[in-house]
Amino acid sequence: MSKKEKLLYLFYVISHPFDGFYEIRHRSKGSVWLALLLVLLFGLSFSLNRRYAGFVVNLIDPMSVDVRMEMIGVFAAVILFATANWSITCLMEGEGRFKDIITVIGYSMLPMVLTFVPATVLSWFIASDEESIYYILINLSMIFFVLLLLVGIMVIHNFSFGKTLLTLFLTFVALLLIIFVILLLVSLINQVWLFLVSAYTELILRV
Amino acid sequence: MKLKRICLIPIIILLVFGNGSQALANSNVPYQTYNYDYWNEAYYTPAAYIPDGNISGTDLGSTNMVNPQDMFVAEDGRVYIADTGNNRILVLSSEMKLEKVIEGFDNNGTPDTFKAPSGLCVTEDNELYITDTDHFRVVALKEDGSLLKIIQNPTSEVLPEDFQFAPLKVTVDYADRVYVIAKNMFQGIMAFDENSSFTGFSGTIKVTISNYEKLWRRLSTKAQRQRQVQFIPTEFTGVDMAPDGFIYATNVDAKGLQSVRRLNPKGQDVIQKSTLENRQQKLSGDVYFIMGPEYSGPSRIVDIVYRDNGIYSVLDMTRGRIFTYDHEGNILYIFGGKGSQAGTFKNPVAIEEKDGQIMVLDSYRGEIMTFVATKYGSLINNAVALRYDGDEASAVAVWNEVLKLDSNFELAYDGIGKSLLAAGENKEAMRYFKLGMDRRYYSIAFKRYRDDILKDNLGYVLSAIVLITAALMIRKSVRKRKGKGGREDE
Repeated sequence: MSKKEKLLYLFYVISHPFDGFYEIRHRSKGSVWLALLLVLLFGLSFSLNRRYAGFVVNLIDPMSVDVRMEMIGVFAAVILFATANWSITCLMEGEGRFKDIITVIGYSMLPMVLTFVPATVLSWFIASDEESIYYILINLSMIFFVLLLLVGIMVIHNFSFGKTLLTLFLTFVALLLIIFVILLLVSLINQVWLFLVSAYTELILRV
Repeated sequence: MKLKRICLIPIIILLVFGNGSQALANSNVPYQTYNYDYWNEAYYTPAAYIPDGNISGTDLGSTNMVNPQDMFVAEDGRVYIADTGNNRILVLSSEMKLEKVIEGFDNNGTPDTFKAPSGLCVTEDNELYITDTDHFRVVALKEDGSLLKIIQNPTSEVLPEDFQFAPLKVTVDYADRVYVIAKNMFQGIMAFDENSSFTGFSGTIKVTISNYEKLWRRLSTKAQRQRQVQFIPTEFTGVDMAPDGFIYATNVDAKGLQSVRRLNPKGQDVIQKSTLENRQQKLSGDVYFIMGPEYSGPSRIVDIVYRDNGIYSVLDMTRGRIFTYDHEGNILYIFGGKGSQAGTFKNPVAIEEKDGQIMVLDSYRGEIMTFVATKYGSLINNAVALRYDGDEASAVAVWNEVLKLDSNFELAYDGIGKSLLAAGENKEAMRYFKLGMDRRYYSIAFKRYRDDILKDNLGYVLSAIVLITAALMIRKSVRKRKGKGGREDE
C-alpha cells in the first residue's frame, strides 16, 4: 500500500470499523507509525483545546495547561493501556498483536483529532446559551472514539462483545497492577541509589 | 530662580507622599491581607483595614474586663459591652468614654443581678436586651435602667420537656420580636413575639448526610450506631439585625461551606452566594485551609456585623480573620490575624462597626480593638456602595482607583465592564469581563458585539451569496447548453 492509500484507509476504518479493523489485523493495512502520529496529534489538539477554547466554554486555568506534560501523559496512557490489554488478551486467546492494539487505539482517535481543533475555533464565536453546539461536537467525537475502540479491540482479537467487555475490565485491573509495580520499582531503585550515595559519601569522608 | 526651586521641593514631596489623612494602603500590618481570585488562589492585597489602637477596661477608668462575650453599637453611637466574667454591662458614650456600669436592675421591687451575661442588643428606642445566660432568661431594660420585661421558661410542644433555656445571643427587630440563640438548641434561632411568648424557630439548618455516611450507618449494627456521632445540625454563633428586618446569622460549619445566613421574616435563608463556577458557592471564610494542629481547619465564624449597602463582615475565631462580603457573596477583603502583637487577636468573639471603624472584642485580652479603613478599603466600600445602588457609571472612577492599588481585583473589572456594556462599548466591555472572569456578562457583550459586526457586514454577505448563486446558475446553464450541444454533435 502506498502512503496515500494508507492515509485514505483511515477514513475507510472510521466509516466501516468492522471491515476496516479486520483488514488491519489480517491484511496489514494499518500502520503503527501513522497510529502513533495520530496519538501525537490528539495530544496536541487536546492541549490546544484546553488552552485556546473560547472564554465562555473554557473553565480551565490557563496556568495549569502544560503541553509537554499532557503529551507525555497521553502517550503513557496509550502505551499502558496497550500493554495491559495485550497482556490480558494474550492469556485469553486474543488474536491481536501488540502493534494491532496500538494501531486500533491510534486510529480510533481520528474523530477526536478531526473535531477538537474545529470545535476550539467554533468556541470563539459562541455565546453562553449556544455552548451546547460545542459540547455536542466534543462529546460526540469522544463517544465515537469509545465505540471505535470497542469495535477495534473486538475485531482484532476475534472476541465476542461480552468477552471484549470482560477483557476491558481485566485490562483495567492489569493497568492498576502495572502502575503499582512501576511505583514499587521506582521506590526500590530510589532506595538502592540512596544507599549507594550514602556509601560513597561515607567512603569519601573516612578515607 | 533659586528660591522658586526651593519652594518646589516641598510641593513635590507633598505631591508624592502627602496622600491626605488617609492611611497608606501598604502600611506595615501585623497580619497578612489577601483575597481569593477566580481560581481560588490566595493573592496578597494591600491592607484594607489597619489597627488603630485598643481600649481595655482600665483605659475606660474601670476594672479590667473578664472574658467579655458580646458588644453592640446602638443607633446613637453608644457602645454596650457584656462583661461576662464580671457579671456587668458596660455602657460607653459615642466618644468611647465610660458612661455607666449596669450591675443589676430592680426586678419588681427586689434588686436583681446578672450571672454571666453573654449577649446583648439595643433597639432604636434604646431598650437594652441582655441574655442573662446562667439565670436562664433574657432581660430587657428601658433606657433609664428600669425593667421592661423578662423572657424565660419558654413553653411549647416543639420544645423538649427538660429543655433548659440558656440564651447566648440576642437580637430584636423593628416590631420588637426577639430572636435568641440558645445553648444546645440545634433547631434554629428561637423567635419570641412582643409578649415574650415563644413562636417558633427561625433559620433551621438542615442536616446533610452523604451517601457514604448513609451506607456506613446501614452496615453497622444497632450497638455500633448508638455509639456513632449523631447527625445534629450545626449551632448558630452570632446574629445581627439589618435595618430591613432580615437577620444575619453565623453558624459553625465543619465542612467550611456556608457559615453565614440571611434569614427573611419567615425564617428562610435567602443569602446570595458567589455564582463563580470555581467557588462552589462557598460562604465560609477561608476557601482553602489545612488540617493540622494549630490555626487549621475551616474558619469558625463566630459573629457578624451588617454594614451599609449590603456589605457584611464576619469574624473567624480559628485564625482571627475578618472576611468582608458584598450582597452578592463576593469576598471584598480579608484582614486580621492571631498573635500577641498590637492589632492581633487572642480570642476574638464579637465584631461591630462604628463610624466606619471596625471594632472587635477580644475576650482573652478583655479589649476592644479598632481598625480603620485604608484608602484601599474605603475605595472598595465606596465602589460597592455605588454598585449596590445600581450606579455602575459613577462607580467606574472608583473602580479604576482600586485597580491602581490592586490590579487583581476582579470585581473592579466586572464593574467597569458593566458600565461599558451599558454605554454600548461592547468590545471594551468584553475585555473587562474577561479580566473580571464574568462569563455571563461576557456572553451578553459578545452577542451584542457579534450582532453589530453582522449588521455592518450583512450587505456584503448577502450580495456575496446572491453573486455566488447567480454564478453557479450561469455555470449550470452553460454546462447544460454545452451538454446539449455535445449530444447534438453525436
